[in-house]
Amino acid sequence: MADLSANLGFCTLKNPVITASGTFGYGEEFLPFYDLDILGAIVMKGIFKEPRPGNPPPRLHETPAGLLNSIGLAGPGSGKLQEIIRRLRAKTTVPVIVNVCGEDDGEFAEVAGIFSAMDEVAMLELNISCPNVKKGGACPAQDAKHTFRLVRRVKERIRKPLIVKLSPNAADIVAVAQAAEEAGADAVSLVNTFLGLAVDLDKRQSVFANTLAGLSGPAIKPLALKLVWEVCRQVRIPVIGMGGITSGRDVLDYILVGAAAVQIGTVNFYEPAAAVRIIGEIQAEMDKLKIKDLSEIRGQLQA
Amino acid sequence: MLDERGLIEEARSLDGGYYQLKIAAPRIAAAAKPGNFVMVRVSPSLDPLLRRPFGILESRPPHIWLYYQVLGRGTRLLSALGHGDSLDILGPLGNSFAEMPGKRVLLIAGGRGIVPLFHYAQAYAGRQPLFMLYGGRGRADLPLLDRIKALPLRGLFIFSEDGSIGQKGLLTDGLEKIVRTERPDITLSCGPEAMLARLARMLKPEKTENHASLEALMGCGFGVCHGCAVQTVAGSYRKVCDEGPVFPLEEIRWPT
Repeated sequence: MADLSANLGFCTLKNPVITASGTFGYGEEFLPFYDLDILGAIVMKGIFKEPRPGNPPPRLHETPAGLLNSIGLAGPGSGKLQEIIRRLRAKTTVPVIVNVCGEDDGEFAEVAGIFSAMDEVAMLELNISCPNVKKGGACPAQDAKHTFRLVRRVKERIRKPLIVKLSPNAADIVAVAQAAEEAGADAVSLVNTFLGLAVDLDKRQSVFANTLAGLSGPAIKPLALKLVWEVCRQVRIPVIGMGGITSGRDVLDYILVGAAAVQIGTVNFYEPAAAVRIIGEIQAEMDKLKIKDLSEIRGQLQA
Repeated sequence: MLDERGLIEEARSLDGGYYQLKIAAPRIAAAAKPGNFVMVRVSPSLDPLLRRPFGILESRPPHIWLYYQVLGRGTRLLSALGHGDSLDILGPLGNSFAEMPGKRVLLIAGGRGIVPLFHYAQAYAGRQPLFMLYGGRGRADLPLLDRIKALPLRGLFIFSEDGSIGQKGLLTDGLEKIVRTERPDITLSCGPEAMLARLARMLKPEKTENHASLEALMGCGFGVCHGCAVQTVAGSYRKVCDEGPVFPLEEIRWPT
């Protein structure tokens, strides 16, 4: 049987399937559906220091094979999340990744410091790419210099591995990935959602109060796969690929372009046990293609 | 809460663009309480991507009944399915309307808002004094009326905007008089937002305890996407899916 383990350099995951931030709650919500220990890792919904209400409704708009969201990182704040993580640890041994958010660089560093100090947390993911916080979708990951400065500052505060989550809305995502690498990121994950717009023709205004929203789901997979491929060729740190994954074959596509692991997101909304199916499909697909382990195909795209 | 493959045993088209599905889903049926809902994957394809929320009209294990109106693409796809087709159904979801033994309960249903209240009436009529105020645009909007008349209700009050059945007018036109004569302790309501907003202005919490079931666009149905938020009078947001769909009527910030 194929070996599904995913080597991130600083650690090895049981398999390459990680559940993406914002699509998996705080893990607990999925306990009725399956044993979280089967996963490579889970990423908590993004967290700020203090509780955040999120954006006014409507927050969702469905598109063909896609989903626009403007949730606005609603969440209970860092204190409450610490409690949740401790409670979750009693129920699963799955590696927990905390998705760290901030209104400014200082808050990013402070929140990272809080969760770096928790034994129950395996690593941190720096969410410098959420398009739903600032008007117009602006985020640090659109700017290589800002990314470098912020990642360096966060790295000084923490002892845990740091994944930096990148935005497809940067003019040059490769430059941002390289800036994160230079500043000491242990890995990059990409992509966060693509900025999109949906309009209400009758009212002649955007569907969303924040005007723009973030697009995810199968519709973005070819766009995301291209960006992951480009970044994989230009950085040495491991890349975690995501965008529109719904099957085991999708996962292997990302590995082929160079990803060390993947995150699955929107699929968790409409198929709560999707990860179980996807991990089974990776196994079956690798056996069928006689792939013994992921390193055999990782980055092997002929181009 | 579980994800169950349900088998459609009967699909009926009713008046007014309404449909009724009888689905064998034994585990969900066994757990469903009045007020709960389910998320249904209307197509195995990736478009439409998300499941759709539906209230549970009735649950008598091993079956649940859904009742819906064709409003968009998802419900249109669902209406094309029939006997022998299967559906992925996630449920039962959300909170429920509690049984309130001995209390006089007024059920207020507008249009398709009848769904959770029918479930409630069917489960609890005969065990507590129930009254129902049911309204819609016209006769075609109230296709369940014959079945409702068969329930052991203490009183049934029908309104239609066009006067084609019952009294002519909005159901809220009859509310004050019914509250005065039937003296309910509790109201349970479900219907269009404008109707619930009007109820919130008319019903006084010091006179009756008021609960409303809300409808919302949902991404997941079990609390993870935060897409179905509704604003409270206190200014915070609540998730309709796992903090509702039933809320104290006074807690929600209704449009004015």
